[in-house]
Amino acid sequence: MKRIYSNIFYLLFLFQLFYAVTASAQTPEKILIKGKVIDQKDKLPVIGASVVEQDKDKRTVTGVATDIDGNFAIKVTNTANKLSISYIGYKTKVLDIGDRRVFNIVLEPAQGKILGEVQITGNKTVNNGTGMNIDERDRTTAAVTLNAKDVEELQAATIDQAIQGRLPGVDIVANSGDPGAGMSIRIRGTSTINGVTNPLIVVDGMPFETTIPTDFNFATADDQQYANLLSIAPSDIKDITILKDAAATAVWGTRAANGVLIINTKRGTQGAPSITYTFKGSFSKQPSAIPLLSGDQYSSLIPQEVMNVTGTPLNTFNIKEFEYDPNDSYYYYNYSRNTDWVKALTQTGYVNDNNLSISGGGEKARYFASVGYTDQKGTTLGTGLQRLNTRLNLDYLVSNKIRFTTYFAYTHSSTQANFPTSKNYGVLAEAYIKMPNMSIYEYDEYGNLTPNYFSPASNVQGLYKYYGASSNGVSIYNPVAMANAALNNTVDDRVTPHFNLTYHIVPSVLTATSDVQFDIDNSRNNQFLPQTATGRPITETTVNRAYDYDYDVFNVQSKTNLIYTPQLGEKSTFQGLLSLQTYDNKIVSQSIQTANTASTILQDPSADSRIQNSDLGIASGTTETRAVAALISGQYSYLDRYILNVGLRGDGNSRFGPQHRYGLFPSVSGRYRMSGEPFMKKFSNWMDDLSLRASYGQSGNAPSKDYLYYNYYTNYTSNYLGMSGVYPSNIQLNNLRWETVVGTNLGANLIMFKNRINIDVEVYRNRTHNLFSNNLAISSFNGFNNVSMNVGTMDNQGYEFSIFATPYKSSKWIVDFNFNIAHNENIIRSISPYYPNSSGNTTLNGSYLSLLQIGNPLGSFYGYKYQGVYKDAAATIARDKNGAPIYAPDGTPVQMRFNYPATNYIFQPGDAKYADVNHDGNIDYKDVVYLGNGNPKFTGGFGPTITFKSNLKLTAFFNYRLGGQIINGTKMITTNMYSFNNQSTAVLRRWQKPGDLTDIPRALYNYGYNWLGSDRYVEDGSFLRFRALTFRYNFNQSFVNRLGIKNLSAYVTAENLLTFTKYTGQDPEVGSSGTGIFSQVIDNSTTPPVKTYTLGLTATL
Amino acid sequence: MRKFKIFKIFILTLLAASVCSCNKYLDLKPQDGITQQDFWQTKEQVQSAVIGCYTGLLTASSSGHTIPDFMFMWGELRADMISASSSSTLGSSNDELNVISDNILSTNTVTDWAAFYRVINYCNTVIDYAPNVLKTDKTFTQAQLNGYLSEALTIRSLLYFYLVRSFGDVPLKLKSTTTDNDLVQLATTPQKTVLNQIVTDLNTAEGYAVASYGTNAYDKGRVTKYTVNALQADVYLWMDRYADCITACDKVINSGRFGLVAGDAGWFNTLYVNGNSSESIFELQFDTQLLNPFYNMFLTSTKRYLAEPNIIEDFYGLDSNDDNDKDIRGADAAVHTADLTIWKYVGLTANTTRTVDISYAHWIVYRYADILLMKAEACANSGRGQDALDLITTIRTRANALTSNGSTIQGTDQHPDPTDVNGLTDYIVAERAREFAFEGKRWYDVLRNAKRNNYARIDILINTIAKSVPPDMQQSAINKFMDHNSHYFPIFQHELTTDPNLVQNPFYK
Repeated sequence: MKRIYSNIFYLLFLFQLFYAVTASAQTPEKILIKGKVIDQKDKLPVIGASVVEQDKDKRTVTGVATDIDGNFAIKVTNTANKLSISYIGYKTKVLDIGDRRVFNIVLEPAQGKILGEVQITGNKTVNNGTGMNIDERDRTTAAVTLNAKDVEELQAATIDQAIQGRLPGVDIVANSGDPGAGMSIRIRGTSTINGVTNPLIVVDGMPFETTIPTDFNFATADDQQYANLLSIAPSDIKDITILKDAAATAVWGTRAANGVLIINTKRGTQGAPSITYTFKGSFSKQPSAIPLLSGDQYSSLIPQEVMNVTGTPLNTFNIKEFEYDPNDSYYYYNYSRNTDWVKALTQTGYVNDNNLSISGGGEKARYFASVGYTDQKGTTLGTGLQRLNTRLNLDYLVSNKIRFTTYFAYTHSSTQANFPTSKNYGVLAEAYIKMPNMSIYEYDEYGNLTPNYFSPASNVQGLYKYYGASSNGVSIYNPVAMANAALNNTVDDRVTPHFNLTYHIVPSVLTATSDVQFDIDNSRNNQFLPQTATGRPITETTVNRAYDYDYDVFNVQSKTNLIYTPQLGEKSTFQGLLSLQTYDNKIVSQSIQTANTASTILQDPSADSRIQNSDLGIASGTTETRAVAALISGQYSYLDRYILNVGLRGDGNSRFGPQHRYGLFPSVSGRYRMSGEPFMKKFSNWMDDLSLRASYGQSGNAPSKDYLYYNYYTNYTSNYLGMSGVYPSNIQLNNLRWETVVGTNLGANLIMFKNRINIDVEVYRNRTHNLFSNNLAISSFNGFNNVSMNVGTMDNQGYEFSIFATPYKSSKWIVDFNFNIAHNENIIRSISPYYPNSSGNTTLNGSYLSLLQIGNPLGSFYGYKYQGVYKDAAATIARDKNGAPIYAPDGTPVQMRFNYPATNYIFQPGDAKYADVNHDGNIDYKDVVYLGNGNPKFTGGFGPTITFKSNLKLTAFFNYRLGGQIINGTKMITTNMYSFNNQSTAVLRRWQKPGDLTDIPRALYNYGYNWLGSDRYVEDGSFLRFRALTFRYNFNQSFVNRLGIKNLSAYVTAENLLTFTKYTGQDPEVGSSGTGIFSQVIDNSTTPPVKTYTLGLTATL
Repeated sequence: MRKFKIFKIFILTLLAASVCSCNKYLDLKPQDGITQQDFWQTKEQVQSAVIGCYTGLLTASSSGHTIPDFMFMWGELRADMISASSSSTLGSSNDELNVISDNILSTNTVTDWAAFYRVINYCNTVIDYAPNVLKTDKTFTQAQLNGYLSEALTIRSLLYFYLVRSFGDVPLKLKSTTTDNDLVQLATTPQKTVLNQIVTDLNTAEGYAVASYGTNAYDKGRVTKYTVNALQADVYLWMDRYADCITACDKVINSGRFGLVAGDAGWFNTLYVNGNSSESIFELQFDTQLLNPFYNMFLTSTKRYLAEPNIIEDFYGLDSNDDNDKDIRGADAAVHTADLTIWKYVGLTANTTRTVDISYAHWIVYRYADILLMKAEACANSGRGQDALDLITTIRTRANALTSNGSTIQGTDQHPDPTDVNGLTDYIVAERAREFAFEGKRWYDVLRNAKRNNYARIDILINTIAKSVPPDMQQSAINKFMDHNSHYFPIFQHELTTDPNLVQNPFYK
């Protein structure tokens, strides 16, 4: 912290210095100048016009205003300075002073246009965020820029939703459809396996913190998610650039190993105030879910399921849920329903987004201010989001040399989520498994429906167990009660002031900039688990459990740049950069968890409640990270054809021990503009640009946790015999070193027919050395189960192709088309012997095997081959290669067995039949075969934009994934008939008696091996999705003028209209679950993406 | 250009200043724990590290089970006093049911030994670092250090003793893991070597340990000389070193500090409900801050286990005329006969249970009755049959064990000849089952007696299996048990995948 303050101090000092230096250059004597200002037309005096003495940098020295007669008198300090006379509505006059002492000035009224917006023309420049401005056409690295206009029609509440599928090599997958839930962003695959896979986000030149404390305890926001990106309103964004290759990201060093997302917000321009109002309103509907059994169908399945195991009918005397005895009114009324739990839990969602911005400015000061309000209701009961965000971007030009910029953003948001009963099983998942013959609300003994939720303490299906938000456990509760009565609210306030000073030390040669950014994020999460949702007796801690989690992030970052752009004559240009950066992030968190408040109305832990159990109590944490970096970088261009960029970055990070704290990361990249060569002249009539690019760069990645290089002792929360004990809580990591991504990229750009066709091709390889593994499993006799360690080398390699084209253009019609495709694969090149070489257990139901294969792409999984169902007793006899039955030495036929001798289950008629690959009559690990790979072969998107007379615009966008197999986990759990969970209607065709020919095995309660990991659940995950269709109309200027506004446009967007896929699950767009080498693509989602319809309106006053 | 020069100087100083102060700036220390470099300075810190070893025994490990939970599961599940019926209303996991039915795979989480090695590492840390504190804290005496070392050594030995009895050969790690340089990939050490290490450590600990801390709770809850002796007796008995076992037992018996709690109306309350009785030698002390796992294991609707349905008839006998004439250790002590609830750790009186907030019954590791019966077993095997019978009688008398009268009373008395080692063994095993029902000892008692003299008494084990495994799996279970390797757990999958040097127990390969 101290260092940061001292940095700020230096900055202020720097300031003072400038003032002192310029002040000392002035001469003390003052000269009086008088005059009169009149209007050119009517010759009347101009009252209140400003008369200002300006030095050569246009810095104001002194200033006065004209009086009622238009007269003025000003004491100027230097006759070499100029006199500037200005008034709103008139052209500004700037006059030399010289020997003149009397000025009679005639001001010309300005034509209307003068106050209009200034059109800036010139090449689009790209800021890699560090401060250098490189023409996009001279870019040596792989990067893409997306203008916010491209995506403004989408109802996206966040920018990540908006860019989904629009940029090659950028893979964005929604984590959940609930409001406020984030998305996972992958730029060219994941270069790391330690969990931190998010790209670095740079807003207005400064890194923007998106990580949340690791002890953050909610299900919908783990560290994979970008929930915090919410705090930038999409309508405030000017453009987004994604840096993809390592040479581009190397300038950002640590934290940029996963790519960089650069966001610039809008700034004010000189001109009259321009007020823009945008409105977006949308509603969304959850498409119909997997058809589930009705109560009647369910209650005929369950007794059969049990009887198939025990051989005796279900004892409905004990298990009264299936008794249907009118004399037992409690069970009869409450357990004879046909409840559609999923339907009861869904609603029509809506989004209502309003944004008002004002921008403008004069010669000295410019402003952009916006205020926005979003109200969102999710499609699942009990979810929603309200957000209020404001932003003020101010530029003040002190002189031609000095400029201040401040960015000030404040966001307040409130998110309502469902109570996190466990990590993977939310209320909707519960609704899928909930017994459908049960009632939502309780019936009284006469059969009248009461308004009380029907939440029995337990029933045959199970009971509520508190597993905690991070576990995968399933517990049983009333999901409607949980969604309505339980609480999981987060209120977040974030303020981000960012100050920037630019000083042109030698104009257009040497520039210094200094940035300081403070980021204060306060968040409070409140959870409450009411007794009405769980039904548990009042003595248990799952009753009226209240949780309060509070965290504060204090982040200070600074950046000091020196940019050197010498004039080297016609032939060559050079830009050099020296940058010093500091980073300090401190997180303070505390939480309280109590249970058994007196009533479900008392929802805060501050109410009298109990904390005696070990799962309750209070906790707090403090953690701090610091980093420093120095960067030197330069770009040289010769003859506009040969362009070379070289950089070197040094990083220091407090997460490493002293031995490995600093890292040096070089980068080099170049561009050869072939089209500039003389021998290419003959193509110049149609070829605008043909360039080849090559780059090499390194960037370092620090671990995601602090203090790893200490072995520390932690207090137990409880005493032993009244004495307190401590224990060593971790392993001191002496050997942890930088995870380094070494990226190489080859690219080519081809621009033809006056920018009508723009092609970009990239081939890359990102090799990650010293791969971190956060929880590398180690043998527990070491006293710990896992350790963080550098374990190996991993490659991400692939290629990308994109084309932006305007195939047709006339005075009336413009047709644009863009297309992109990308391929990426993840390969382990070497790995520590400590690393386990497989994961998954094929002797257990529901589990697939993943193997670590060095040199092969990751994501492959293995399992059995499914061959349907043993139709009768004869079918269960083991057969040899030729199909002849196998006989035991005593002449009896051998039965098919599972995992002999350890498990030794004998297959029965109606059981799932797996391929006996080696024909030994035994299904075991020797019969496990390759089933697929979860990674898509290709991803991308395409779509046309058709514009008519610049009034009508139709945009369609498709995205796709090709190849890649998905494990349909939903199918697995909705057809396994292994528990008392509800099942899909597919089980209606299950095997029931010998001779049945079907693909669904018999129902077996908690027994048998009918749902082993097999190709039965593996499906092709390719899809083509009609992501969005937008129809926009810009109203005629004449019509708009009559309404007294400048611009007006309206649009309608429909999202997720259609998905073409062979996949039978709900949605083929599935991210891989779990991090690390063995992550498998398992679709546990039960909800398809919601269809959303949006109406939008933009008006500029 | 003067401006420029000043600026240059300024930038250079800034650069220089930042380079110098970088290292300091980046050196951050955690605020929620004391680092090892700052720890191990005073005797108070040594004490809190030792107390940490005890607390470690009581807190749940990554598997979610505490060590007493494991001691119960390992000591009882495969034996015959737990109900084998896999009723769906119980909260026991499939893994637990599979252990009960002796269908154990290497993926079974019950065989996860991580909880034990976690605390072994705490003990190793104390043993490695505590002696250095003598240098920094001059008020710390050698005698105090020895006392602390004896506690760490004994806890470590106790845990290793559980491991070798459950797994056979296990990795033996005697050095602490502090940094990532200390990580090792060990092979298993033969059971015999581990036992010899335990014997060595216990001999050291015996010399170091205190006889009393001056407070009753401390004497029962922390390691004393007599804890060491009790453990020695158990280890020697397992190693068939009867003379050493008798010596160790006699040290406890002759100390005069222990005796049996009288078998009157207050017996259950004194011994189990209140704990720390005169009979107790070492028990793990749960309290209001740290509740025991038993409430959830035995009492709630998610309870994991029930007692074997015929436990009273099978083990304790009945007086069909007089309900009050009963073995005090059976009904309403070990088990609540009405619903087969395992009563020992959750019962408050004969018919009321503890509530969740007072669920802190201690876990008894050793008590005086155990010493007497261990001595009896050693005597029986070393030609002192009459001594053995006398000791059994002492235990039975206290407990009002039923004696058969041929008609109305179905008793549990046996009358082996003092020279009949087999008969004596059967009697002792049965008596131990009655005395230590659900105290996590049954399986080890059965296995110890079965394996003696090269599995001369494998029939004890087979008979147990026949009772504990569901009927449909009995035959295969009996076949499995003819392979002696099956008496030990498999090495948990996690360990095998992380350590190529570990070799799975051949039975589970």
